[in-house]
Amino acid sequence: MSALTTPGRAVRAIPRVVVMALLTLVVLGPIYWITISSFKPRSELISTSPTLLPREWTLENFERLFATTKYPLFLSNSFVVAIGTTVVTLVVSIAAAYGLDRLRVPGAGKISGVVLLSYMIPGTLLIVPLYVTLAQLGLIDSHAGLVLVNVAFTAPFCTWLLRGFILAIPIEIDEAAALDGAGPLRTMFQIVLPLLLPGVATVAVYSFVFSWTEFVFASQFIMSDGLDTLPVGLKAIIGQYTVDWGLVTSATLFTLLPTVLLFLAVGRFFVGGLIAGATK
Amino acid sequence: MALGYALVAPIVVIMLVVIAYPLLNAVWTSLRDQRLIGSDSDFVAFETYAKVVGDPSFWAALRRSGLWLIGNMAVQTVLAFGAALLMQRRGWWARSARVWVMLPWVVPTVAVTIIWQWMLNSSYGVVYKAFEAVGIDLGSPFGNPVWALPVIILVNSWHWFPLTAVVVYGALATVPGEVIEAATIDGANAWQTFWAVTFPLLQPVLFAVALVGSLWSFNILDTIFLITEGGPADATTTLPVYVYNTAFSAFRASEAAAASVLTVIVLGIAALLFVRFARPKEL
Repeated sequence: MSALTTPGRAVRAIPRVVVMALLTLVVLGPIYWITISSFKPRSELISTSPTLLPREWTLENFERLFATTKYPLFLSNSFVVAIGTTVVTLVVSIAAAYGLDRLRVPGAGKISGVVLLSYMIPGTLLIVPLYVTLAQLGLIDSHAGLVLVNVAFTAPFCTWLLRGFILAIPIEIDEAAALDGAGPLRTMFQIVLPLLLPGVATVAVYSFVFSWTEFVFASQFIMSDGLDTLPVGLKAIIGQYTVDWGLVTSATLFTLLPTVLLFLAVGRFFVGGLIAGATK
Repeated sequence: MALGYALVAPIVVIMLVVIAYPLLNAVWTSLRDQRLIGSDSDFVAFETYAKVVGDPSFWAALRRSGLWLIGNMAVQTVLAFGAALLMQRRGWWARSARVWVMLPWVVPTVAVTIIWQWMLNSSYGVVYKAFEAVGIDLGSPFGNPVWALPVIILVNSWHWFPLTAVVVYGALATVPGEVIEAATIDGANAWQTFWAVTFPLLQPVLFAVALVGSLWSFNILDTIFLITEGGPADATTTLPVYVYNTAFSAFRASEAAAASVLTVIVLGIAALLFVRFARPKEL
């Protein structure tokens, strides 16, 4: 609080406070704006002098969203795909990280290279051949196919992220468990996995957010309207009419709400985990 | 050892099926003359590549991708560093910022593009009106060939800078306080301390972030496609958009594949050069 008592320091703090205010405005302003917009009646939305708060709060946009669009269906589809992606990513990347870094399968050192390589390939390039591959597997136009594709893009990064966490657990713990007669599988589930929880949480949030926001693959590999995920459904809601801003703003709010709420609940762990994994 | 292989097998199989096999398929397609996706075609060796290399719009797209990459890295680096340095401080603002600064990243891309189109709308948009109030007419930025790309770069940076900010913040926390203190005692000001002490210590993390972030940025399709689909007049057609439109609007599958293979080669060379010349000494 000395900043308040010494005038010199207070003056020097001004630029910093201005930058803080600007950053807050830039980051949170758009989210605030879409939120209050969706509570405005039509007449206020298309007013040429927008107000910072609705003059009259209304729920009519949300009522229309639920009554006239397939929003509830898109929502449940998105949950199916996001939870599916998260679970499969967890299983695949924990298994891979454990196998590579604990059971010393050759190639552990190459993970970063493989991660890098998978980012070098434009996703656009894969759309066409992947479509053919999924059709051959009978997975086109299905949530399972979409989960498979999502996992291919989340798992390498997650395996790499988990490495830092696994390497931080002393190998002596494994050795002690082995002396006590625990097999490698039991060591993995009962000893290493519980110590890995921060990493697991980070990877779970990452893959959930990835598949919740994924648009390109979802729009190409799902043909039935009934199977569309939220981003694709949201895009369709805009395209359908001359832009109905009431519907669009409320649909947008309800598309970002699930991940934002999830993040506000567990974001602290995610940030910690990302830092721990990435700076190791 | 057998168990180890069994544990690593799933990720290997998935990556072979979803990435490696389709990739080989794309290379194969690029050596043929396929037009409509999946239609009959003949083997033409490198003829399609010659066509792509001879197409001025391919080079224009590559140039725009270069601008896209530089613009995104510049804006995101400034935002991320600014945010990270402030998040490091004490107090309620910094403590809460460590969580909310990530929010733009968790907002789905489609929602990001709608939010900004809504705020920049020239009839009802709040940002448009705010600029109008101080005498600046933004016009319709996404419909303007000069401004469309820079404005989409800003929108995309808003969406992606949080990831970098958090990693930089984490890296800053690993810089020992005593080293900074020592520099301060030796009479270095904040700016000198940052460049002489903090920056070199951050180099390994910055190296990784720059490499992964660049590749990530370069290949972005959705932000651009959802706002302008590459227009107006190709002003926002970066390479991924070029590839997408070539395959799905122009129905020239082989040319799209050849352009993508060339993209991977360009990125590969750029990444190798970057690793060769920018890798911090001790790594």
